[in-house]
Amino acid sequence: MAILPSGLSDIVADEEDLARFIIQSSHLSAFMAKPAAFLPSPRDRETSVSRHGSEPSEGLWAIGLAAAGERCLYGAAIVKARVIRSVQLEVLADEPPPRHAVIRAWPWDEPDPEQQKAKQKLIAAIIASQAVLLRR
Amino acid sequence: MIAMYLAGYAALNAYARGGSAVSFEARAAEEAATGVVESVERSQALFGEKAAALSQLRELAAECAEVNWDGAGAIGIQAAAVLNVQDIVRALPAGIRMPEFSPEPDGSISLDWIEARTRIFSVSVGAGSRLAFAWLDGSDSGHGVARFDGERIPARILEGICGIISHGNTAVRPF
Repeated sequence: MAILPSGLSDIVADEEDLARFIIQSSHLSAFMAKPAAFLPSPRDRETSVSRHGSEPSEGLWAIGLAAAGERCLYGAAIVKARVIRSVQLEVLADEPPPRHAVIRAWPWDEPDPEQQKAKQKLIAAIIASQAVLLRR
Repeated sequence: MIAMYLAGYAALNAYARGGSAVSFEARAAEEAATGVVESVERSQALFGEKAAALSQLRELAAECAEVNWDGAGAIGIQAAAVLNVQDIVRALPAGIRMPEFSPEPDGSISLDWIEARTRIFSVSVGAGSRLAFAWLDGSDSGHGVARFDGERIPARILEGICGIISHGNTAVRPF
């Protein structure tokens, strides 16, 4: 185990909180982040998250604003790393930037792209159902 | 009376979508049908909810039309996906509330019916006719793919939506 520049371990523990920042207002429903907020990017087949919980909120929003850049930051969905692993995905530290991590191993390269997408959607729905939404 | 009206509207809508007219008269009739369909959809009395949903859809499509709308390499919302969503909204039977829309990184649009954290039905609509969907219903969950012909919501999807939104509401039926 090594220590990263952020001071965090290079191994993401199961009980660590992960923040998925919401920069699309339509990714918010009345009481939760929608499944689409967690789907992987087609560019790298990953979902970016930050290793940060709801507190301290100043730190959370500082990271979120940096990640959002010129886009509006609407909130963050906080989910435990063990939830990600429970749906057979991987969570790996990926600094820089500090505290950055990625969710990998999404279903990919299946012969039927729609079946692949359906599997991704189910996984994203399960994650969304377990995440706690913080509005900014 | 309303059923007759809806049946007539459905026929007109199908005709307006046809685009196969060859003669001047047929083209004129098709354009007239299109005009009627558009006029009917503007009627807040009958289609207010659908008109509002289509308006939200257009806003979302404009907002996410460019690549990288999420800053992480997302594909822009595809025009064909928007047209498919429009057809789905028009085909939703009365009694089923409109879905929430959200953009997906692959350029598709997600149609979501979210009743609770574990009561979710989500359909992805892209440029093609095959729709990927997934649902959570308490401890039950699943996913699948169904083909949309442009006019009728696939039975598996309609049943799934009704199963999520009609909990304790026997007035909503898929057919």
